[in-house]
Amino acid sequence: PICSNGSVNCQLSLRELFDRVVKLSHLVHFLSSEIFNEFNEHYGQGRHFIARAVNSCHTSTLTTPEDKEQAQQIHHEDLLNLVLGMLRSWNDPLIHLASEVQRIKEAPDTILRKAVEIEEKNKRLLEGMEKIVGRINSGEVGNEIYSQWEGLPSLQLADEDSRLSAFYNLLHCFHRDSHKIDNYLKLLKCRLIHGSNC
Amino acid sequence: PPEKPTIIKCRSPEKETFTCWWKPGPDGGQPTNYTLLYSKEGEEQVYECPDYRTAGPNSCYFDKKHTSFWTIYNITVKATNEMGSNISDPHYVDVTYIVQPDPPVNVTLELKKTINRKPYLVLTWSPPPLADVRSGWLTLEYELRLKPEEGEEWETIFVGQQTQYKMFSLNPGKKYIVQIHCKPDHHGSWSEWTSEKYVQIPTDFRVKDM
Repeated sequence: PICSNGSVNCQLSLRELFDRVVKLSHLVHFLSSEIFNEFNEHYGQGRHFIARAVNSCHTSTLTTPEDKEQAQQIHHEDLLNLVLGMLRSWNDPLIHLASEVQRIKEAPDTILRKAVEIEEKNKRLLEGMEKIVGRINSGEVGNEIYSQWEGLPSLQLADEDSRLSAFYNLLHCFHRDSHKIDNYLKLLKCRLIHGSNC
Repeated sequence: PPEKPTIIKCRSPEKETFTCWWKPGPDGGQPTNYTLLYSKEGEEQVYECPDYRTAGPNSCYFDKKHTSFWTIYNITVKATNEMGSNISDPHYVDVTYIVQPDPPVNVTLELKKTINRKPYLVLTWSPPPLADVRSGWLTLEYELRLKPEEGEEWETIFVGQQTQYKMFSLNPGKKYIVQIHCKPDHHGSWSEWTSEKYVQIPTDFRVKDM
């Protein structure tokens, strides 16, 4: 049903919900690429942050599909809940990223604005996903999948190099996870809306 | 001993498998053997190349079973002969970022007129056969370019994920060259361009006929 202006109990179709979340996840990942690349250009030159960032994401405890076959074999409800769990696991760190990045010396305005925009968009993506999961699981939105982030102290370290390395690591991990989320949602949309025939 | 080889390229054509190639260093004419070794982020274990043959000489092909995404591979190549051995510099790869699809296929060009006789050209194409876009695992974006046959400047148009495009602004009597290429959304690189397709616009193809 198309929502006419002012209608009260208007409900978007699952197709429209998926269209919106996929647009959002695509944008969130695009923003994460921009902020990651810009931060790396500005602060990463010659510091080899990547060596310290390898295998240190707070969400690495979540078992996620690493290839097409795994992604296709997982039941759609499990994949939806996994995406929901990943988004929830990023809610807290993105809030702190947006506030702590303001304290980085001479941080370009573009990085500050993107951090705030990513936090807002990710929150809306989470809300959209909760609607979808609620719709598909007939009202039930499980929240067992979650990975606690304890990285705030490292974003506030006195030593600048360590602090910048912590920011790099957070951006590197979000860049990776937001790409996974975008990829899984495109897969789910094709499966659930287009019968795997996009 | 042989000089150290260099890993020159790694590529995934469809975001399911990938191949790496290396260039041998000078080996003093001695018969030299090459071993590709790799480890994956978060794992101590070191593995050897699963398949040295499929992709030809000086290459290693990783099939689906050996290909993981969102994880960094640390790859080296060791050259060994009677005089000793030498190892390449490490090459770090996340397969997510090395996807370069094959060009699109089935490119068709068709001249049409709308109901009110507005002439236009319809271009259609299909994704490269290897690329599984149906399941949503791989999402491709397309760009087309065209120019008059004798012209120098290409006009390039990004068309997003669609596989059809309508062109309204073509000059009557001109012959045009058209090509298309594609790229994964977000990360990876553009495919090669499709082979050149030609279309002759008839002289009575007047746009002002409206």
